[in-house]
Amino acid sequence: MKVEEVVLPGVGRKYTVTVKSGDRIVIVVHHSGKRELQYFEAGEEDEPTVALDLTDEEARELGAILAGVLFHPEAVGDTRSKLGAKVIEWVKILPGSKLVGKRVGDLALPPGAHLLAVDRPGAPLIPHPGPDVVLEVGDTLVVAGSREAVEALKRSF
Amino acid sequence: MHPSLEAFALAAGLLALGAALVHRFGFPPLPVYLLTGLVVGERLHVEDLEPLPSLGLLLLLFSVGLEFGPDRLRELSGKALRAGFFDALALPLGFLLGLLAGLDLRGALLLAGVIYISSSAVIVKLIIDLRRAANPESEVVLGVLVLEDLVIALLLALLGVQGPVGFLGGVALVLAYFLFARFLGPRLVRFMEGLSDELVLLLGAAFTAGTALLFHAVGASEGVGAFLSGVIAAGLGLRERLEHLFGPVRDLGVALFFLVVGAEALGLLRGLTPWAVGLVLLGLLLKLPLNHLGGARAGLGRKRRLYSALYLVPRGEFNLVLGALALGQGYPLVAQVAVLLVLVSIPLGALLIRFAPEIAQALYPEEHPKKRAKRAEESPVE
Repeated sequence: MKVEEVVLPGVGRKYTVTVKSGDRIVIVVHHSGKRELQYFEAGEEDEPTVALDLTDEEARELGAILAGVLFHPEAVGDTRSKLGAKVIEWVKILPGSKLVGKRVGDLALPPGAHLLAVDRPGAPLIPHPGPDVVLEVGDTLVVAGSREAVEALKRSF
Repeated sequence: MHPSLEAFALAAGLLALGAALVHRFGFPPLPVYLLTGLVVGERLHVEDLEPLPSLGLLLLLFSVGLEFGPDRLRELSGKALRAGFFDALALPLGFLLGLLAGLDLRGALLLAGVIYISSSAVIVKLIIDLRRAANPESEVVLGVLVLEDLVIALLLALLGVQGPVGFLGGVALVLAYFLFARFLGPRLVRFMEGLSDELVLLLGAAFTAGTALLFHAVGASEGVGAFLSGVIAAGLGLRERLEHLFGPVRDLGVALFFLVVGAEALGLLRGLTPWAVGLVLLGLLLKLPLNHLGGARAGLGRKRRLYSALYLVPRGEFNLVLGALALGQGYPLVAQVAVLLVLVSIPLGALLIRFAPEIAQALYPEEHPKKRAKRAEESPVE
């Protein structure tokens, strides 16, 4: 993430935040406390896709939410929820993965890791997938087990 | 009852009515104050409103100094400086224009200033009211305004005085103020931090008015004095606090000031010559290509360049200071040009800024549909 700060004389300060994807958010903090937000898609220089005005109070609320004051996810990065020492994780099969085209029965799951379900876009959830289910690009595997086993499974992708 | 009560009630009511009318159309109120003054004209006893309008101008210059002081130069990006350089070419061109119009050196310099200086106060207000602050061109335009205000303050300090004694007095005063801020400033700031808002407001008012008075006493322009006190106050780190405290007082004063400018303009413009009108038109047109070029050098896209040129159309506070000076020094032509420029450029500039997206769309029509097509291609993939 890259943040640029510029002074706008008579108006306030302007912050340009460029995130990893290349999208930009421009935030103007006015002397009056008003905030102006503009969102630019990556590669788009001139026209913001959306603009939003916030009062000082709204901006602070939003800032608190963004900072995770009200709700902080247990693990930032991957989607993961904690069950004591056990974890549940959602693992997406990306193009080029070794798992593409494999039958569930042929998966070499590390001991202690269990495949709970396969979530296939545009299809109903496949709970307790049988050994004959063939994995496709875009599938999301819902895996549970000990942290070590799940980490080992992720590394094997 | 004091006669000013009647005049004030009438003026404030008219201004409120005008502002309310344009507010419905999402239009900034500033040009309406001028036009209200023009329409009401001599029926309103503007002299009864004094000293509010005069103080309004001083406070306006004070807050311009506060926001657009030379300490901002350090914070400016290189692109704003490049744009400011092209913008400043209006000075030699305006000077030439003045010579061609048959003015002497001093008169031509005054005219150059009148043509060069855009109004920071008006443009900032328009940018905020029209929600353009986050746009890339606003950064460039505001940077250009910092440079303009600095140059014009120097020009005013140079031209505002008659004879070498006044000039030296002015320079000595400016030096004294900067030394004061440099050496006593830090101690003063710590002291001010413990004071109540009300006391700071009163001290600020006394400081501004006192400085203006002092400058007037040595034969320099009191407007420069007010501008300088803003610069000093900003240097003392009081920018946010004073801006916050003075804002509402200044806005009231400025509204009345523009009303009075409109009302008094009629008298000045009665002896209008085609020369003056021609100079006003040339002045308006002169800056457009310069600022367009400057915008290009600042790395703005094609549309944003056009925006930045349009943003810099409005002339305002410093034009009126220059105009008053020109009138006092015997250049009625320059004074007419200055006032007429303000009268024309504020409503025109407000319209141009308001409809800048539509103007750009009309000039470069091919840009948008292409973009829409691109977006449409992308969306099914998602």
